[in-house]
Amino acid sequence: MLPAFFHVFLITLAFVAGSAIAAPRVGEPAPDFTGVDTQGKTHRLADYRGKTVVLEWTNHDCPYVRKHYGAGNLQEQQREAAAQGVIWLSVISSAPGQQGYVSPAEADELTRSRKAAPHAVLLDPEGRIGRAYEAKTTPHLFIIDEAGKLVYMGGIDSLATADPADIPKATQYVRVALKERAAGQPISAPVTRPYGCSVKY
Amino acid sequence: MDRAGAGESMKMKSALFSIIFWLAWLLASLAPPAHGAATVSTAHATVTLLSEQPQATPGQTLWLGLRFELIPHWHVYWRNPGASGAAPVIRWTLPDGWTAGDLHWPVPQRIRVGPLTNYGYEEAVTLLAPVRIPAGPLPAGPLTLTADAEWLVCRVECIPESGRLTLELPHPGSLTWDPATQHLFAAARAQWPEADRVSGRYRLAGDARTITLEVPGLVVDDRAEVWFAAYEWGPVDPSGAQSRQPTAEGLALRVPAGDLPPAGDAALDGLLVVETPNGGAPARRGYAVRLEAQPATTGASEPLGLLAALGFAFLGGLILNVMPCVLPVLGIKVLGFVREAGANQRRRVGHGLSYGAGILLSFLALAAILLLLRAGGASLGWGFQLQSPVLVALLAYLMLLVGLNLSGVFTVGAGLMGAGQALTAGSGLFNTFATGVLAAVVASPCTAPFMGTALGFALTRPASEALAVFLALGVGFALPVVLLSLWPAQVRWLPKPGPWMKGFQQAVAFPLYATAAWLLWVLSQQTDARAYGAALVGLVAVALAAWLYGQWQPRGWRLGLLGAAVTVVLLLLLRPVAGPDVAAPARADPEHLAWSETRVRELTAAGRPMFVNFTAAWCITCQVNERVALATENTRRLFADRAVAYLVADWTRRDPVIARQLERHGRSGVPLYLWYAPGSETPVVLPPLLTEGIIAEALQSH
Repeated sequence: MLPAFFHVFLITLAFVAGSAIAAPRVGEPAPDFTGVDTQGKTHRLADYRGKTVVLEWTNHDCPYVRKHYGAGNLQEQQREAAAQGVIWLSVISSAPGQQGYVSPAEADELTRSRKAAPHAVLLDPEGRIGRAYEAKTTPHLFIIDEAGKLVYMGGIDSLATADPADIPKATQYVRVALKERAAGQPISAPVTRPYGCSVKY
Repeated sequence: MDRAGAGESMKMKSALFSIIFWLAWLLASLAPPAHGAATVSTAHATVTLLSEQPQATPGQTLWLGLRFELIPHWHVYWRNPGASGAAPVIRWTLPDGWTAGDLHWPVPQRIRVGPLTNYGYEEAVTLLAPVRIPAGPLPAGPLTLTADAEWLVCRVECIPESGRLTLELPHPGSLTWDPATQHLFAAARAQWPEADRVSGRYRLAGDARTITLEVPGLVVDDRAEVWFAAYEWGPVDPSGAQSRQPTAEGLALRVPAGDLPPAGDAALDGLLVVETPNGGAPARRGYAVRLEAQPATTGASEPLGLLAALGFAFLGGLILNVMPCVLPVLGIKVLGFVREAGANQRRRVGHGLSYGAGILLSFLALAAILLLLRAGGASLGWGFQLQSPVLVALLAYLMLLVGLNLSGVFTVGAGLMGAGQALTAGSGLFNTFATGVLAAVVASPCTAPFMGTALGFALTRPASEALAVFLALGVGFALPVVLLSLWPAQVRWLPKPGPWMKGFQQAVAFPLYATAAWLLWVLSQQTDARAYGAALVGLVAVALAAWLYGQWQPRGWRLGLLGAAVTVVLLLLLRPVAGPDVAAPARADPEHLAWSETRVRELTAAGRPMFVNFTAAWCITCQVNERVALATENTRRLFADRAVAYLVADWTRRDPVIARQLERHGRSGVPLYLWYAPGSETPVVLPPLLTEGIIAEALQSH
C-alpha cells in the first residue's frame, strides 16, 4: 500500500517536473503558440484544432532554403497541402539584423516572387515560436495533427545537400507523411534529421 | 520602411550574396585543372589535397589529406555537424583497385550560434583518409587522384562550396618527402581522438529526455569541461547543457537526449571531449567511446526529476522525525520546550529556529562531505557513517552518556559546550542548535526507502542539485519542531512542567540505552570478538567516567584532568576496534548464498532464477523486510519450489563493489531487492518495502 502510493506520487511528480521544460516530442501535444502573420493577423495553433498544420521554418537567404524554393519543391508541396486542406504556416524566426529577417512587406514580396503558397507567413523575430519548437534549421518542418499532437518533425527531405539536383532523388518526408496520414497509415519516418542553416535567433 | 525601399534593400542583399557566391564559384572553377592542381581557393576557404608520401607504393596504405584553411570566424563541420550545418563530403576518383577508407576527423570544438550548438573547426583542419593500394605493379605513367569535395562554410550565415582537387603521383619535380606536408599530417594525427582508451555505459532516463553516460577510468581535472558528441545525428541534443559528476570509477555525464533517443540496447558511439583551461584556448583532448546500453531501472528506483526528488526528500525528512533513532532526541527537544514554555515567546522561537539551523547546517555539512568524498572518488552511500566501526562505537558511547545524564548520574554545567551537553536540554540557544546537529547525525542510519532514492539522485547529480536535495531533507526534518516553536498555541498543548518531569526525563533515557544497544549490535556485525570486547570495556569506562564526573562535580577544577584521562582511556580502548576488517559473521539464515557479480553471472548462465537482497545490519528497513517478507515460511517455500537462488549482499561494512551495484540501480543505500527471472540478465527492481505478496507476484509474473 505504502510503496504503491509513493510510486504513483513519484511518477506524477516526475511527469509534472518533466513536462514543464520539455522539448517537443512526436506523439505528444505540440506546443501551442500565438503568432502574427504578414497581414497583422493573429494565428493560434489551437484555432486549427480539427485541421492538420505544417510548420516550416524558413530564411530566404539560406542556401538550403534557396535549394528548395529555387527548384520549386517547397511551393509545390505547399499547394499539395492546401489542396488536402492542410494549413501550411511558414515561420521566420530570424532576429532583426540577422540573415533572413524581413519586414511583413518583404515577406509578402518573397511569397509573390517565389510563387509560394503557404496559408500564412508568421513573423517570429523574437524567436518565441522557434524556441517553443526548438526549431534548429531552415528548413525545419513539423506536422501537427487534428488533435494538436505533433506527428512529424525533421527535415524536408532525405538528402542533406545544398544541390537542387538531389531533390528528385530524395524522399520528401513531409509529402510522404501527409500522404500516409491521408491514407490513415502511421507515418513511416516521424522523426528525421533536419538539415540546413541554423535558425538565426 | 515602405514597400519599394524594402524591395530595394532585399535586392541589394541578394545581389551581394550572389556576387560572393559566384566569386567563390569562379575561383573554384578557375583553379588550374592539370598537374599538381591540389588547391582550391574560395572566398572563405583554401582547400588543399595532400599526399603524405611523394609516391605510391604497391601493397601499402597511402594517406591523403584534405586541408581546409578558413578566413577568420568562419568554420567547417565535424562528421556530425550538430544542430545545423553539414559535414564536408569527399568523393574520390582513384586509380583502379585503390580504395579510400573513412575520413579521420580531428577532435572538433563546439561552436555556438544563439541557442544552437554545432561541432566544427575554425581556422584550419586537415581531414585524413587512408587509401589502400593493391599489391602488384602500378599502372604506367603518372597516377591521378581526384577528390570532389563539397563543404559548407559558415560564420552565422552559411555558404555551400565545392571544388575538384587533383593530385599527381609521383609528385612531379620531387620524390623527397616534404617536411611541411609531414608536419601537417603529424599535426592532424595529434588531434585525433584517442581510441580504445575509454569505454562505458549509457542509460536513457524513463522519460527519454536525458541520457546518463558512465565512463569508468576517466579521471579529469576539476576545472575541466567534459562534453559528449554522438557520431551521428539523433541520439543526443548537441545544444543542451551537459553536466558531469565524478563517480567511484571515473565520471558520469548527463546529456540531453536528441530527437531520436538511442533505442533499445543499441550502443552509442561518439566522442568524449575534455577541455582543460589553459590560458587562452582550452587544451582539448578527445576520446572515441562506445557506450553500451544499460537497462533502464524500473519501478520505485526510476530516476527522479529534481522536483520529485525535493518533494521526497522533504517527506523523508518529515518521516525521519518519527524514526526510532530520532524519536529519543526529539523527546529531549520536547522536554526542552516544556521547560521553556513559561519563558518568553521570543526565546522559544529562537530555540525553534536554532534547532532548525542546527539540522540544516548538519545536512549541508553532510552533503558537503558526501560531495567531497565523491569528488575524491570514494564509493560511499548514505549508510557510510555507520559503516565505520569506530564511529559506531563512539555513537554508542555518546548514547550511553546521554542516557546516563538523563538518568541523573551526572548533570552538565550550563556554561559548557558540546554535543553531549546539548542533550541536557539546557537553556542556551547553542544547546538547541547542538540538539539539531545531533538529531541530524543520529538520523543517518534510518534510510527510509524514498530517502534512499532521493539520495541516490543526489549522488548522481551536480553539486547544486545534491545540496538542494539535502536541504529539502533538512527542512522536512526540522519543520515540526520549528512550527511548534513558532506557534505558541501548539506549545500550549504540551504538558505543564512539574515534578513528573524528572520521571519523564529518566524514562527518556531508555530509548537512548536501546539505541546504544542497537549500535553495539551493529558493531558486533562489523568487528571480531576482541574488538567488540574492547568496545564493551570502553562502555564501562564511559559509565565510570560519567559517574566520577557526577560525584566530583562541585569541584569543577578537576573536570579538565578527568576529561583528559577518560579520553586517553577511550582512545586506547578503541584502537582494536579500528583494526583490520573482519568479514561480517554469516547470518543465522542457512539458505542464502553470498552475493558476488561472478555468482550472478554463473547463475544467469545456468538459467537459475535469483533473488538478491542488498542489506546491512544497521538498516532497520532491511531487518523489518527480512522478518515480515523474506524469512517467512511462505517465501521460503516459494523460493524452494521454484529453485530460486537467494543471494545476500551484505553492506554492513563498506564494500565498493556493492556500492557500485546500488548506484547502478539508482540507490545510494540499502535495501535493494532484485529479482532475476530464469536466464535473464536484467533484474526487476522490487519496492524497498517488501511484503510476501510483492515477492510472490514478482516470481509469478515470470
